[in-house]
Amino acid sequence: MFNKAKKLVLAAITLITLNSAIAIEHHRTNQTIAEKIVINNPWVRSAPPNTPMLGAFMEIHNNSNQTVKLLSADSKGYRRLELHKTQYEDGMMKMIKQDFMPIPAHGKLTLKPGSWHIMLIAPESVPREGGTVMIDLVFDNGLSKTVHAPVRKMKKIMGNRHYMTH
Amino acid sequence: MNNKLLSSIGVVALAIAAFYFATAGKDYQALKKQLKVSYILHNPDKPLPEFSLLDHNRQLFDNTHLKEGWSLLLFMYTHCPDICPTELFDMSRLKNLMEEDKTASMPSVVVITFDSLRDTPEVMKEYITHFDKDFIGVSGDQAQIDRLIKPFGAYYERVIYDEKGKPVILKASDELPKDALEKGYIINHTAWIYLINPEGEIFAGFPSPHKPSAMVQDIKLMMDY
Repeated sequence: MFNKAKKLVLAAITLITLNSAIAIEHHRTNQTIAEKIVINNPWVRSAPPNTPMLGAFMEIHNNSNQTVKLLSADSKGYRRLELHKTQYEDGMMKMIKQDFMPIPAHGKLTLKPGSWHIMLIAPESVPREGGTVMIDLVFDNGLSKTVHAPVRKMKKIMGNRHYMTH
Repeated sequence: MNNKLLSSIGVVALAIAAFYFATAGKDYQALKKQLKVSYILHNPDKPLPEFSLLDHNRQLFDNTHLKEGWSLLLFMYTHCPDICPTELFDMSRLKNLMEEDKTASMPSVVVITFDSLRDTPEVMKEYITHFDKDFIGVSGDQAQIDRLIKPFGAYYERVIYDEKGKPVILKASDELPKDALEKGYIINHTAWIYLINPEGEIFAGFPSPHKPSAMVQDIKLMMDY
């Protein structure tokens, strides 16, 4: 009887310990995957109160050994979000819709005016300068991130042709 | 003999001087060398076509409105997510810089839509004056806008997406499908800013990307020439 109880307690302790160990390990793994993608300086460009379109910009860093693709973006209060790239072609500035944005291994992709950007289409109400827009980003391999992008004007001093490259 | 030689020299000198005066003002060679971010486009033989559009207060906007002084003119559309807001921001920066510079006088800023179907005068008013209360938004008859952009060398195409999600390019002369307004469309377009002289003629053009501080210098040189 005593032996049986002892065995049961031991089994319970083993189970609990094992479970916590797995949980910790699981948590660690999640953290490692999450840190493979780091997003810096997200922002949404402030726009007129009747704007039908807004642009979101950020730096996406990929600390992994493989190219990671940003597959889609979503935000509440917009008809939809699209991935776009502004390109200079045939004398025109063209808005080219992208199926994904590639972030190179151990590199970064910079979303900025005149280049890669996320288009926020048909806002229910245009966010004001100083506000924040929450954007959900979905990457391949099931990774996802939520960024809080402050709404602000373009920077006045655009050092080293920051927004000039197309 | 001496008199003959002198008069011949005189005639040659006069001819050279006449040639110099006749051409110096037109080819802007000296001015061109000083310009950093713009190109002289002036050709008085090719005036702008007569046009009759609407400003953002639904008042007539025609050629005479470009003859009240120097103007900076650009074409854009309000559904533009990237380039057009950048251009308008650059123009507001330029205006601030020109106003800080006591030796400069800011031309008026005229913003004409490529997309009068969606950009009514009311839409233009709210959108354009957000960047600066003095900017003038212009809309109106699309056929007239299409005719007006030609001498600027400006052009555009509209992009819609078919059922499979493939982009379909529509030229300015192509009709939009009925559901285009509902589904939405984007516009690929040239993105120059133009300087118009007080005669209402295209004087110079600034290709994109625009650098307001450099534009200030060029505009001052051209207005003072």
